[in-house]
This record gives sequence, C-alpha cells and structure tokens, in this order.
Amino acid sequence: MPLSVFRLLFGLAMVFSTLRFMLLGWIEDHYIRPKLHFKYWGFEWIEPLSAEGLYAIHILMMIAALGVAFTSKITYKISAIILFITFTYTELIDISYYLNHYYYVSIVCLLLCFIPAPPPLLKKGYVVPVWVTGIFKLQIAIVYIYAGLAKINYDWLILALPLKIWLPAHDKMPLIGEVFTWKITPYLFAWLGMLYDCLIVFFLANKRTRLFAYGVVIVFHTMVGILFQIGVFPLVMIAGTLIFFNFEEKSISESSVSAFQHKKIPVFLYVFFVFQLLFPWRYLFYKGNLFWTEEGYRYSWRVMLMEKAGTATFYVKDSKTGREGIVDNSEFLNPHQEKQMAMQPDMILQFAHFLAEYYSQKGVYKPQVRVEAYVTLNGRPSRLLIDPKIDLTQQKDTFSPKTWILHDEND
Amino acid sequence: MKVYPYTHFLAENSFYKNMLKKDLYYFILIAMWVISCKKSDSTPTDGFDRAKMLENYAQNLIKPAYQDLQSQINNLKTATTNFVQSTSEPNLVALQTAWINTYKTWQYANAYNFGPAGEQGLKKGLIEEIGTFPVSTSKIESTITNNNANFNDFNRDARGFLAIEYLIFDLNGNQQNILTAFANQNRKNYLSGIVENIKTRVDEVVTVWDVTYLDEFVRNVGTDVGSSTSLLYNEFVKSFEAIKNFKVGLPLGKRPGQVQAEPQLVEAYYSGKSLEMLKAHFEAIENIWYGKSKNGADGVGFKEYLEYVEGGKALIESTEAQLQIIRNTLNAVPLSPSFSVQIQTVPASLESLHTELQRHTRFFKSDMSSVLGIAITFSSGDGD
Repeated sequence: MPLSVFRLLFGLAMVFSTLRFMLLGWIEDHYIRPKLHFKYWGFEWIEPLSAEGLYAIHILMMIAALGVAFTSKITYKISAIILFITFTYTELIDISYYLNHYYYVSIVCLLLCFIPAPPPLLKKGYVVPVWVTGIFKLQIAIVYIYAGLAKINYDWLILALPLKIWLPAHDKMPLIGEVFTWKITPYLFAWLGMLYDCLIVFFLANKRTRLFAYGVVIVFHTMVGILFQIGVFPLVMIAGTLIFFNFEEKSISESSVSAFQHKKIPVFLYVFFVFQLLFPWRYLFYKGNLFWTEEGYRYSWRVMLMEKAGTATFYVKDSKTGREGIVDNSEFLNPHQEKQMAMQPDMILQFAHFLAEYYSQKGVYKPQVRVEAYVTLNGRPSRLLIDPKIDLTQQKDTFSPKTWILHDEND
Repeated sequence: MKVYPYTHFLAENSFYKNMLKKDLYYFILIAMWVISCKKSDSTPTDGFDRAKMLENYAQNLIKPAYQDLQSQINNLKTATTNFVQSTSEPNLVALQTAWINTYKTWQYANAYNFGPAGEQGLKKGLIEEIGTFPVSTSKIESTITNNNANFNDFNRDARGFLAIEYLIFDLNGNQQNILTAFANQNRKNYLSGIVENIKTRVDEVVTVWDVTYLDEFVRNVGTDVGSSTSLLYNEFVKSFEAIKNFKVGLPLGKRPGQVQAEPQLVEAYYSGKSLEMLKAHFEAIENIWYGKSKNGADGVGFKEYLEYVEGGKALIESTEAQLQIIRNTLNAVPLSPSFSVQIQTVPASLESLHTELQRHTRFFKSDMSSVLGIAITFSSGDGD
C-alpha cells in the first residue's frame, strides 16, 4: 500500500512538474534558444532534439508518468523505463540546470524500473516485498542524511551563512515576516535545518514518532518551498515520505504472498546503493576547500548549501599575431548559464574549449584562452578562482585534481 | 519556543517528552553560545526597507529622467519642424544643439528598460528601439530613396537617436553637405518620421509610469525574479556593461577576431560627441548605485542596501574605490582629438578606461547580486 501511494503521488508530481516546465516556456529557454550547452562528463554526445522533438519528449514523459502512477504489469514496466529515459535525457542536455532535486527524481525513476510491477492501485490484499519499499526509504535516508552532514561546516553552523544572506529578504512575509529581521533567525534555521536533515529519517522509521515526524516534514518542506525558489521539490518530498507509512496490516491471501516472495533483489541495486553511499565522499581525495573548488561537489546532496557567484572574463589570444581579445559572454550564454559557468571550474573549462573552437573558425590562429574568474563565496569579497595565466585549451576535464584552480588561502 | 502545545498528544510517551526536552535545552545552550561568540558587526538590526529605496528610485531618478527626456524631445521636435520647413544653417545648428541636449538627457534614462520600457512581445526594450548604434547607413539611405519607412519593424539600426545623428551631422563638420542633402523631401520626411516615432514611444512609456506603473513598481518589494529590485538591478548591470562592451570595447577592437580598432562603431560617431555622452552615461550609472538624483540629492540606493547585508561594507569600499579610479581615468582622456580618432591614433587612455571598467564588473555584477540575494534573470529556473 505505501508503494501504491508512493508511485501514484510520484507519477502525478511528475506530470505536474513537466506541465509546469512546459507552461513556463522553459523548453525554449533551457534547451532550444541557447547557442551552446554545457555537457555532463561522459555524456558529451547528448544533443537536444528539434523543438518538435523536445515537446514530443515532454509529452511522452507525462504519459509515462501517468503510466507509472496508475498502471500495472507490463504497462507499468514500459512506463517506468520511458519515464526514466525521457527525464534523464532532458537533464543531461545541459549541466547548467543541474539540481540535486532533479538528480533525486532521476534516481527514483531508475529505482521504479527495477522493482517488480506494483499491484493494481485499488486492489487490496497484495503484499509487496520489504525490499521494494525499503529501497525508496533508503534513498530518502541517503538524501536527508548526506544533506544534513553537508550542513556540518563552519560557514553554515557558526556563521549562519548562506541563510544570513537569503533570509532577510523575506521580512515582508505576512504574519512571520518580522522573524527574518532578527539576528538569531539564520542561526536557528541553520541548526534546525541540520538537525532535521540528520535525524528526521530515524523519527520516520520509528512507528511511535512517525506521525509527528511527518508533520515536521510537511512544515519543513512548506517553509523551504515558500522561502526559496525550488519548484515542485517540496511536493515530491512531502509525497515521497509517505513511503514510510504502513497503511494496512490486514491478513493477506496465501497466493498473493507467494507470488511476490520470490522476487529477488536485483544485483544492480546492491551496486547502485554502494555507489550512492560512497560517491559523495570522493571530495576527500582532492585538496582544498570543497565549496571553492567544487571537485566532487555534485551528486552528493549538498542542497542549498552556499551562496556563490562569479564574473568570468575570457581572453582569447591569436597565437600568430599575439593580439588578445576579450569575450562578451552574453553573446553565447543566457544569464543562467553564465552565472553557473562563472563559479564552477569544469564549466569554465568547457566554455574555454568552446571559445577556442568558435574563434578558431572565425580566423583566430590557434586560440589560447585564459580566464579572470572572480568568485564570491558566502558574502566574502570576490577572489580569483582560476589561475589567470594558464591556457585552458591545454587542460582537460578529468577526475584528477585541477591544478589550475587557485586555492582558498583558508585551506 | 513552546514545546508543550504539540507534545501534549504524546503525553503518554514520557521517553519521548524527555528526549525532546533534553534536545531543546541543548539547542538553546548551543544557540546562546553561538550568539555570544559571534563578533558583533555594525549591520543595522532592523530590516532594510526596500520600499523606501524603490520610492527614491521611482520619484527622484526614474520619473524625472523620463520627464526631462520628454521635454527635450519636444524641443527636438520643434527644432526638426523648423529645419524641415526651412533648411537654413541657423536652423541646422539649432537642430544639432537640440539633438545633443536630448541625447545627453537620454543617457540618464537609458538604463530603465523594464516595465513599460521593457521588452514586450516583438517590441524590444526602449534602449534598443530608440538607441541602437551603429546605424546602418545603407539601410537608411535606401529607405529614404524608396520612401518606404516603417519605424516599427526590425530595422532598429535605421531609426532612433543615432539615425537622426547620421542625418544631421556631417562626419567632417561640413554643414553644407547636410543642407544640400536635405533638399530632398524624402529625407525630410524620414527625419520627421524618426523624431515622431521616438516621441511616440517615450510618451507611451511616461504615460504608463505616471498612470499605473510607478505604484506597481514601489509595491513590488521582493528580491525574486520579476521583483522591482531585480528588474532595476539587472537592467542597471546591463547598462554598465554596455558602456564597457559597446561604447569602449568594441570600437577599440577588443573582441577576439577583431584585428584593429573600428572607430565607426563608437556611439555618437557623426557628431563627435562620444566622450561627452559616455561621461554622462557613466555618471547616470553611478547615480543609480548611490541612489542619487541628477541634481545631486543622495537618497536611498543600492549603496545603502549594501550597508545592511553580510559582506556589504567591504563591497561598498571596493566599489567606491574602483568607481573613483574609473572617474579619474575618464577625466584623463584628452578632449581632443575626438573619441573615434583617438581610438585609432592614440588609444592608450581609452585602453586604460576599458581595463578599469573591466576591473569593476564583478563589483556591480556577481558580488552585488550575491550579497543582496537578488535574482539575476527572468527565468533562473529553480534553485538547488
């Protein structure tokens, strides 16, 4: 039953989310209009389809989401696979729009492919193997706990950054607006947020505290949804946490029990969760301040964790004449792309390579590209992120440490 | 923080109540320690009143700028009518003077390309519709010959202030060339048409500001996408970058792929008033940051806003220091020869200007939007 509720609400949330995406014109804005897209490592071959193709994909996504919500057996399986492929494809088009929330949705879509088809929605008396609801609970636990652990850092807890930057703007909120002018509020929210993330799954898992914990879940996500621009994610989490509830404990028929008991846990899921547990720790292999260098930052549930922005000025030099020109980023990137690029070294590198290719075709001889990237982190005065003398066209994006990132003097 | 109201239904579970109480005590202890350890900074304790800031911008900067522009355009129209009726040298000089005054006044109104002056459907922002440069002389000439002007199509480089400039200023100052050219009735019609088009557009913007938009602007006090602060801020940054990229950078040949300076790309190329206009534009930008009206009255602006936020004071210092450097560099640019000539022959002081403008960008752009928490675009997408 919790599985039925979960897949129904998740499917509906996906329909709503996709519809919202389309109605806001974001297909044009994110996928069609931009002159270049920033690729995901390993997925450089992904290209956006034509406008018609993209709309078709999104409509297909909605249909698949409905399939995941309502259908069973083979129809469900096909829906789940299509939903995963269409959603993940659209995400892979441009890493400028990477959000931990989207990563989570992709994962849930993937997990939905690997479970046996859920029982028909309204039919009672089916038993679902414990591991099926278990993997969704485990995934939610991973998201929350890692997000909570990520908040255990000096800026977040001791300086109440970035909340101290983000909260005061809400002082005109009805009823509680004044709270955001108090000095203590960012600290309160920071500590409560960290404690919530770290502990909530335990209270959800424990039957005696579950109902209360769910109330807190609703309060937390509603608050966060009002304060920050994070789309449908609060809905997804409020709906998704229902997986922790066992809605009925009645006795079930023998036949239905045995039908599901034999569904073994796919090996892939073992591998998957080991990966999920270990991958967020890869940042430890890199020197330097993680928030500054972002080596190993993504895919680790570092949600709404820092206020960071940059201004990146690219210089393109003609190797024959030595003449160096300055790039106007807005010629190629929309404001969102430019903002994301300017503070993330791997995207800076991609843009540098793009510029070299572009200007080479415009007649610049063997372009050398360097960048002056000034970045501010949590309200600190901006500083150079990248060595401004290095020719980025000679650098590659690999998992080895990026030596051309200038480190924080506070390392 | 009251614990009891929502634990009453768990009253049976004393284990839980004790745990919650203990957590609460620990939390309060930690919170008090954190607060007492925190360095006291002198950021004001009450919240910043964005409504007051928006009110200052609306009443003391934006509205007067548009009103000045409106009255100057009326002068321009009068001068145009006189010139068209009688193409004499005195009338030409009067027209040229009117143009210079109007275009200079425009420098104080060209950064507010939102709301009624913003992009709506096929109509671009006001700056693009009436302030595009360089103009396409071939388009202008062929339209005059064919007498098929449409001032509302996509040919923004064949209308606006700089198209007028092309028509009424001879590059070498030879007034007779202009007078001779204006013997042509088509040319007169075209000139009148452009002026009328500018007047219509500006009047429209002013009317909407007067009737509805000013109230709407002041009331929208958030910092999210579409808020007045966000709109004003983003257009302000765009306007600053236009100085750096289009008024200085491009003519200097600073784009990759440009192999030399291209003086014909400067603003106000035909009148030679580029430097004067640039200085006015820069002063207008500074005024916006300070919240200062054109007559010098310094009200609540972005600077005052920065005083209220984390990291704001340091940013104010950096900003003011670099603004001073830019001002000095601007003043060091020789007043003659003209801008477009200097760009080719003695570009050193303009290169310095470009460098200093470049150095300033992060203070207005990423640093400011970051510490103020202002949404930077119309569709940021969702946050993470």
